[in-house]
Amino acid sequence: MPLPAESVPAQTLLDALRRCGVKFIVSVPDTHQKSLLALLDTVHDIRVITCCTEDEAVCVAMGLWIGGAPVAMMIQHAGLYACVNHLRGVGLDLKAPLFMLIGLLGRDVNKAPRDNTGSMVRLAEPLLDTLGIKHYLVDGPEDVRLIEPAYREALNREAPVAVLIGAQTA
Amino acid sequence: MTISRGDALRAIAQHRDQRIVVSTMQVLRPWHALSPSELNLSCIGFMGGASTLGLGVALAQPERRVVILDGDGSLLMQLGSIATIAGAAPANFCHILFQNGVYETSGSQPIASAEAIDFAQMAKGAGYKAAYSFDDVGRFREEVAGILDEDGPVFVVLKIDQRDEMADWDAPSPSPLAETRTVRKSLTGDK
Repeated sequence: MPLPAESVPAQTLLDALRRCGVKFIVSVPDTHQKSLLALLDTVHDIRVITCCTEDEAVCVAMGLWIGGAPVAMMIQHAGLYACVNHLRGVGLDLKAPLFMLIGLLGRDVNKAPRDNTGSMVRLAEPLLDTLGIKHYLVDGPEDVRLIEPAYREALNREAPVAVLIGAQTA
Repeated sequence: MTISRGDALRAIAQHRDQRIVVSTMQVLRPWHALSPSELNLSCIGFMGGASTLGLGVALAQPERRVVILDGDGSLLMQLGSIATIAGAAPANFCHILFQNGVYETSGSQPIASAEAIDFAQMAKGAGYKAAYSFDDVGRFREEVAGILDEDGPVFVVLKIDQRDEMADWDAPSPSPLAETRTVRKSLTGDK
């Protein structure tokens, strides 16, 4: 996908989550994905659990998986930085298939995330690399095809996988 | 008056039945020794996570009852979790807090506001359906079975001794990774 990154309609993302079979979203509200969160509030087949911190979201998602419920996390890059110890302790040490949609709020959509000036966007991919967490970038509607394989990869590898949402959802 | 940690754990274990139990910190090893089960989960290395780990299991398995054995220092690490749990409102959730007012593993430094803090009031204020506080083991023994059967989320504070016979309990530490797979298999049939 050539730059600039394009917004993905919330309905397109919801359809992708439904194809994954997701029944729970564990979220700390993310401005970048607010249209998807608003849409999720109107549906009955996926329950949204709002958490106070991303640490909590990691644990709730792990508990849901242990109990057999298909789950995705929705957080923001700031939350990724906030929950590093829980990602390590639960995601890596307990081999948790945490599937995370992470919004890159404030990104300059004309630049790759790593080339952004602001540290919040610029350091997200390097941090995931440091933790050994696979990640994919959704930079427009065509990239939504990456979501279902990424979800399956988390389950199959029993490891966290992140999908970075490059532009604010529409 | 305070309760011995061992007495409290024995009373809970007596009425455990098929409940899923998530334990953490200083009650973890004695609990595993007193109540070995394929339905035990451990929170080690992500302090404060016991209750939200249990919340996820409770939401996924609404027909099963989930009990959390938490510590006061641990809960303060993730105090917002009581609002998250109350908001999700799992009826099958009982959150038991062992309050001794100190960070025991690191040398018994007092927790913040150790003398004044009222966890039962905070849980009730966050929206738990009921909250109880016990400093007498006799009363706890009388009421624990009924509390474990209540519709939740329910919060229980146990005011326990700062040191007791179980602090140095010589039981093997469980494997938290293996437990997650064992519990998942028990609940879902999957590995």
